[in-house]
Amino acid sequence: MADDLILDVQDIKKAYDGLEVLKGIGFGLRKGETKVLIGPSGSGKSTLLRCINYLTVPDAGRIYLNGDEVLDTNIDAMRARMGFVFQDFNLFSHLTVLDNVRICQVKVKGTDKAVATQRAHRELERVGLSDKADAYPAELSGGQQQRVSIARALAMDPDVLLFDEPTSALDPELTGEVVRVMQQLAAEGMTMVVVTHEMSFARQAADEIIFMENGHIIEQGPPEAMFTESTHERTRAFLNVIAEHG
Amino acid sequence: MDIYDVLLRDFPFLLKGLGVAIVLLVALLMIGFVLGLGICLVQLYGPRSRLVQWPLMLYERIFRGVPIIIMLFIFFYGISGVWDISAFGAAVLAMGLRSAAYQSQIFRSAFQSVPTGQMMAARAMGMSKIKAIRHIVFPQAGRHAIGPWTNEFSSQIKETSLAYVIGVVELTRQAHYIITSTQGNVLTVFAVVALLYFILNRAGNSLLYAFERKLAVPGFEK
Ligand SMILES: Nc1ncnc2c1ncn2[C@@H]1O[C@H](COP(=O)(O)OP(=O)(O)OP(=O)(O)O)[C@@H](O)[C@H]1O
Ligand SMILES: [Mg+2]
Repeated sequence: MADDLILDVQDIKKAYDGLEVLKGIGFGLRKGETKVLIGPSGSGKSTLLRCINYLTVPDAGRIYLNGDEVLDTNIDAMRARMGFVFQDFNLFSHLTVLDNVRICQVKVKGTDKAVATQRAHRELERVGLSDKADAYPAELSGGQQQRVSIARALAMDPDVLLFDEPTSALDPELTGEVVRVMQQLAAEGMTMVVVTHEMSFARQAADEIIFMENGHIIEQGPPEAMFTESTHERTRAFLNVIAEHG
Repeated sequence: MDIYDVLLRDFPFLLKGLGVAIVLLVALLMIGFVLGLGICLVQLYGPRSRLVQWPLMLYERIFRGVPIIIMLFIFFYGISGVWDISAFGAAVLAMGLRSAAYQSQIFRSAFQSVPTGQMMAARAMGMSKIKAIRHIVFPQAGRHAIGPWTNEFSSQIKETSLAYVIGVVELTRQAHYIITSTQGNVLTVFAVVALLYFILNRAGNSLLYAFERKLAVPGFEK
């Protein structure tokens, strides 16, 4: 294990009733890196992301976060250090925006409420939603909800952020505001793993693109190389399809 | 003395009977709440082992499947054979245990109506299962439960009158005493009693609705 890796994913395997979804996947992230995971539907991207924080428990393989192995026994503490952004936001619907961003700081990390409130306001400002602190999730647009969920993850001061298709549930005109926030985070040196079909984001913000198919990593490399000179027929075909359909 | 004078004279007894009915109601609802919530939590989040789940299911089926009047007889005559239980105690126990079976169902469907993503997001943020239930799932399920719980409240008010059959001196039995002492006037006396039950029911319902409105989350539909 290279010790300058923030996130080190080693040889993850996962099967559902005999169907092998992940067949031994490994990759690593240094501090401040952004990696974008792409691949056809059903290739195991979500499963991989969920294995990283044990929302799905892998059958085999190891995950290290900043040198600490993720285990059943320390899972809550490790999850507190990994932000997860869901496709359908999953904001806590009975809580105001401010409480959404505040509650886990207080209940998980034991942060003092006043400090947590300050931090929550800061993260809301970062995603451009200071004026929505007192609103409830159901009063927000999808794009705003997703930005709150990013603020909620950021407020935990995570070592790494995991995004599972954060813009797929959004109308095209709302995608931009979320992508801009993610680009800004990447530029500020956040460490992120992003599953997305937003190739503009991948091109602009990714240090590396990982192309997955059938539970394997087929190819990985910097965006320019992947987009222009991929040697793999499958990668080129997939990128062409994405390019055509957006 | 005509019946109105008797009613006026004996009205304190009716109020006393109403008081007993209310104490019975509160006691049985509390037992039902605590036990019902406990059963629901074990059914949803407890060990899946049959050793745990089957007795709960059996309990629920039995108490929902047997008429309350039979339960009252079993609890009163059955238990008083081995242990000195008052009619009131037997009524609280039988009706409380039965309400627990119904309330566990109310809570279970309320918990199940909370989208799974809520629990997932809470766990993903590092909350333990217990914290996630307490801070995220329960507050939402609780809101969903108030409506159906109001129904349970209403039916239990009405069922307290059945405690009459094992000799609990609640509102219905007090009414019966008045009727026996004045020979007849069934209609008038029971009309007054009906009105008392109705008022209690409406008052309780209004309170619960007010509670539901107070807890309502803006923009959040069920
Ligand atoms: N809980 C589950 N139980 C059984 N099979 C599952 C489960 N979750 C995922 N799978 C299967 O695993 C495979 C990979 O699913 P996964 O969601 O990881 O793909 P994905 O790459 O994220 O796809 P998409 O782009 O559509 O989101 C699919 O065949 C899916 O049906
Ligand atoms: Mg997916």
